[in-house]
Amino acid sequence: MNNARVIISTHNTLAALGLKKLLSEVFSTDVLVVDESFFNVLSTTTEPHLFFVDQDTLVARLPFFLPRKAKTVLLLPSDQSIEDFRTINITLTESQLINEFNSLLEAHHNKDKESTALSSREAEVLRLIASGKTNKEIAQELNISINTVLTHRKNMTAKLGIKSVSGLSFYAMMNGII
Amino acid sequence: MALINRDSKLCDIILHDPSTITVLDRFGIALGVGDLNVEEACQEHGINVEFFTTILNTFINENYFPQYTMAQFSANEIVDYLIKTNNHYQQNVLSNIERHFSFLIAKAPSHNNNLVIMKQFFDEMKSELLQRIDDDNNRWFPEICRNEKAISQIAEAVTVEEPTDTIEDKIDDLINMLVVHMKGDYDHNLGYAVLVAVFSLKKDIKQNNRIRNRILRPFSNALMPSNE
Repeated sequence: MNNARVIISTHNTLAALGLKKLLSEVFSTDVLVVDESFFNVLSTTTEPHLFFVDQDTLVARLPFFLPRKAKTVLLLPSDQSIEDFRTINITLTESQLINEFNSLLEAHHNKDKESTALSSREAEVLRLIASGKTNKEIAQELNISINTVLTHRKNMTAKLGIKSVSGLSFYAMMNGII
Repeated sequence: MALINRDSKLCDIILHDPSTITVLDRFGIALGVGDLNVEEACQEHGINVEFFTTILNTFINENYFPQYTMAQFSANEIVDYLIKTNNHYQQNVLSNIERHFSFLIAKAPSHNNNLVIMKQFFDEMKSELLQRIDDDNNRWFPEICRNEKAISQIAEAVTVEEPTDTIEDKIDDLINMLVVHMKGDYDHNLGYAVLVAVFSLKKDIKQNNRIRNRILRPFSNALMPSNE
């Protein structure tokens, strides 16, 4: 989830700034906001993991984005879907948006680093552990069995190498999970 | 290294594992050991040879299970060693890590919040360790020394399950945070310094715990089943 370099390009400056703030604060993601002229000189910078663009930018730079459609996400003001491209409805509520971005960024992160990345479920369990919940409470809250909670914890410790509850909480703080 | 015995040379022990010098220090032995072997050094410093070799072997070899137990040693002797060990943590090891950590945070090219969080985790582990030392000094050790006579009459104590140690776990976690999860800008050299300092604490705490749990605790349990 972390250090996924993201490039945002949209004529809606307010949306770009809001998205940048969200991604960098909630997901500790390295974000760059650019204007259209940027795509003439991209070769000089590192290719990012994801592009968030509005429809105008996409249309204007279609030759650029078509070969990169796997990493392009279209920002749309409605639930509309566009063939070949992933879309995000920017009129969703804040928590829905966070969930959307979470799964987007996570998919990329998992591809890069399968061994140490937490799944979104594990991150959820970690968040609850860090907030002081017992295994039983976590099971109730997520509507899963205690055994499943224990399995998540075991996998988490195997991935992160951290076993104490407070160590996990500090890890969650370091990674913006809480 | 083969087990240390009364004929082993002190210089060979230190050359094999330099961290043993901090253990020798607790027996009053400093650098400049010359050609002395264990027996000669113990005579010179009035140390019980069996106790000395047991402690060193426990320190060097993780799987070493002491052949001599409390019955052969005096409670005072063990407690005295553990007090010196605790002092070593309090006066040297913890402040060492702390100093390195402070430098690491201060010298980071830009503010690195992860370092600050790791330091907070270290502080938590540190206060737990200091609390245990406080309990040792004010409750557990005096209790054992008071009952030394009774202890010497217990022929064999029942071995107890080694409890999981939260301090040891937290040190392991801190090491993993540094090794696996370190990120952002930081001075690499100072990062290594923190890591090495935490590692030396880990090694020492492990040995300390083996002595506490394998030698001292079984007898203290046999004496006061309700307390420890």
